[in-house]
Amino acid sequence: MNNPVSYVFSCLFVLIAHGAMLANVFINGNYDNISQPVVLAAAVLLLDVAYFIIMLFFRQTSYAVDFLLILVLNMSVIFQSCFGEIKFSVKHYITAIVALAACRGGYLICRDYKWIQTKRKYIYAGVGICMVLILTLTGSRSMWISIGSSTIQPSEFMKPLFVLACATSVTEQLNKKKVLIFNVVYENLALFGLMLAICLLQWWCRDLGSLPTFMGIYISGFMLRICYPKAKLSKKTFAFAGAALLVAAIIAMRMAPDYVQQRLHSDIWNDINGDGYQQSQALIGIANGGWIGTGPGHGKLCEVFAHDNDIVFATVCEEWGLLYALMMIFVLLIMMAVPLIVPPRSYYHGTMAAGVCAAFTVQTALNIFGSCNMIPFTGVTIPFISSGGSSMLVSGFMAGMLIAAISPKLDEPPKRMKMPVQPQRPRRYPS
Amino acid sequence: MKSIRRCQHIISLFLVFFIAGMTILVVKIQHEAPFYMMNSDEHKLGMVYDRNGDVLFDGTLEEGDTSKYPYGHFIDVGNIIGDDKGQMSNTLVAKNIEKLNNYSFSEGLVSEGGKAAIYTTLDHKANQAVYNSFLGNDGCAVAYNYVTGEILVCTSLPSLDITQGYANIENFRSGTLLSKTLCGTVPGSTQKVSTVLSALEIMGPDVLLSKSFTCLGKYTNKSGKDIDCHELYGHGTLNLQQAVEKSCNPFFAQLIEDPDLPLNRLIKMYRKLGYAVNGEDMDYINIDGIECETASTTLTDPYDFQTQWGCIGQGDTLVSPIQLMMWQSAIANGTGKMTMPHLISKVTNVKGKISETASTKHSSRLFSEDTAHTMRQILTTNGANNYTYLIYGYDLGIKSGTAQVENGNKENSLLVGFVDDAELPIAFCVVLEDRNSTYLKPEQIVKVMLDQLSADLK
Repeated sequence: MNNPVSYVFSCLFVLIAHGAMLANVFINGNYDNISQPVVLAAAVLLLDVAYFIIMLFFRQTSYAVDFLLILVLNMSVIFQSCFGEIKFSVKHYITAIVALAACRGGYLICRDYKWIQTKRKYIYAGVGICMVLILTLTGSRSMWISIGSSTIQPSEFMKPLFVLACATSVTEQLNKKKVLIFNVVYENLALFGLMLAICLLQWWCRDLGSLPTFMGIYISGFMLRICYPKAKLSKKTFAFAGAALLVAAIIAMRMAPDYVQQRLHSDIWNDINGDGYQQSQALIGIANGGWIGTGPGHGKLCEVFAHDNDIVFATVCEEWGLLYALMMIFVLLIMMAVPLIVPPRSYYHGTMAAGVCAAFTVQTALNIFGSCNMIPFTGVTIPFISSGGSSMLVSGFMAGMLIAAISPKLDEPPKRMKMPVQPQRPRRYPS
Repeated sequence: MKSIRRCQHIISLFLVFFIAGMTILVVKIQHEAPFYMMNSDEHKLGMVYDRNGDVLFDGTLEEGDTSKYPYGHFIDVGNIIGDDKGQMSNTLVAKNIEKLNNYSFSEGLVSEGGKAAIYTTLDHKANQAVYNSFLGNDGCAVAYNYVTGEILVCTSLPSLDITQGYANIENFRSGTLLSKTLCGTVPGSTQKVSTVLSALEIMGPDVLLSKSFTCLGKYTNKSGKDIDCHELYGHGTLNLQQAVEKSCNPFFAQLIEDPDLPLNRLIKMYRKLGYAVNGEDMDYINIDGIECETASTTLTDPYDFQTQWGCIGQGDTLVSPIQLMMWQSAIANGTGKMTMPHLISKVTNVKGKISETASTKHSSRLFSEDTAHTMRQILTTNGANNYTYLIYGYDLGIKSGTAQVENGNKENSLLVGFVDDAELPIAFCVVLEDRNSTYLKPEQIVKVMLDQLSADLK
């Protein structure tokens, strides 16, 4: 550990932040039995301390993402335990632990560039398996696989795999092959094909909400690939990419199926009891909460379907206030901005960090702006905040990828041979 | 290291876009939160006052509570101020309900002591007097200050007392739930004001004032159809001033046929005045959110009966009383620009702080100052010659009209005009429906209106 003092202060900061939230729950919360907030407080603080200890077993350049991760995860546990009334959400707590474990897994898998390069075919295979699972095991044109009472969303698992596919293929830019008059990079074609296949699959299973996330990952990977190893990210490149994106968006909007068109052009206030119900209730909830909220457990949005995932931002706003909800988003933003402060150590790691940030920002934007009627409502999750096992596990894994990007395992520099020390001759001083 | 910076640039780009989106979201929420709250089940409404502090709508009133205000207190403003019950959608309260809500994003919903209110420009006392002066007859009256745009009187009959609720709604008479001042009505000869304005703009005052046409009681136009005059034996040869004063239909039919008044230019001028010509979509005047119809007519051929009949103000020509009044303002203020009317003088928020104040706005120029001046002369001469004995004590520019409605079975009386007095700058329009069923004259309503406004404002 480079700086034990900073580690301890970071631990204290996280504990104080959670302590303050829990104090709010105790003072302003809606509960009949004191045991519920007590259990919640014990669980949150226990997980904090346990993770602080576990982190000590990992040698990393920076622990910033880890601290932000535990901060936001336990914030989300507190939020999710307060919707409607204070009741410790065991399920969300478990998924938070799973996310932390997945984070460690993601870190260990992705930190070694050379090792992961050799496993590239397994990454593609993983995406393929997810696709086959969606095609075969989900219901009729659905995105969910039901296992007993729980469900899994296989498309979620494609996200980190797709990020890895983009990141590990960067160096292939050097292997250009001459086909007719074109310099072709086969890996680029493969990635483009993969992107197309994902788009078709998402369209097939009516999960168009996830499409922008995959597009975001692909665009970040593509932009970094076209200027590898030395080309500049010029304004021209940006303009060209922006124009291409705009054209793609216009074509997509024109060709979008009827149910998407309906969402694009619907007025939620004219259909307040129909298709606009969730969004209108979300906005009313935000207005009802104001800056400081109605208090933990005092919200009414808990009666609305998907209050804990699709419109979770509004549910948090209602009970905790817009100010607190913005702080929650701020923590997520800082987590995504860590690679700007602690730079990734290689182009692979940088591409991976950019892919993860692209996925997180696009997903968060889709959820918040969609539920607040700024863009069509898609029903994707906010990483770490929304409930849902698949989402939490994958988000945790991707946080691990972010940690790996700033604390990678690089080749040890060759050890210097120790030169034998020459015995010094006694100097003679003139007498 | 440069290559790593590229990765950081991409990350920054995503974050910047996201932060920009969040900023827009926060501003949007701040701005629209009162509207969101109005769509919830919970709201605490404030009050609507007239210009002297008299209550026009009380949001704190419990449903069915009729004890706080005397019966009929709100009846003169029932269908223009309205209420929050959802039965009337084009009223001041319905269109500005979020301004009335005792809610702010920082304070939340204030159950008691909230000071959200709308202060209107209406003079309730004058409005009640005008309402009562209709003596139970149907119709409407609207008056405003043509210098400031403040609507002072706006009443429409039949109306309702909002405190009585809607249990008896099936027995409401037609037109109870909407203010007729906002809806198009057949303007009768008040339409001739628009025709003269257009002719003045196209021909110029010298040419138009030099024209004279002969009325023999009816005029057979060039397509063989008769345009009847209300004067059975005709008015003889008339110039423009006389034609306006006599409201002579044959004169105006011949004017429309005059080669100095090409139809294409007439259509262009009508459009400039705000008419939807030949089936075009009608525009709306926005009066603090309330939608007011403008005007529409058919102009296809100068020799066609429908076109001539439309320019005289019958047939399918429709103009809202507020629009008729607004044209009077453009004449009265001498600029050729209409003073845009407003009902809200100021709005206070939940804490009582003024969050919105009205300002005077004008339309674009509809006609030249010369045209305004000439028209003003014509109307004030008409007022001096024909109306001083009924509406005495005021220098008036005025034009009357009789509109045939329900296939000619009923006739409505209209009176539009303005007071040519800097201390009482009032433009008005009064519509009295089914004039043959009553001895009441619109002049009597105008007299009551001006007397009350004069007492209150001067």
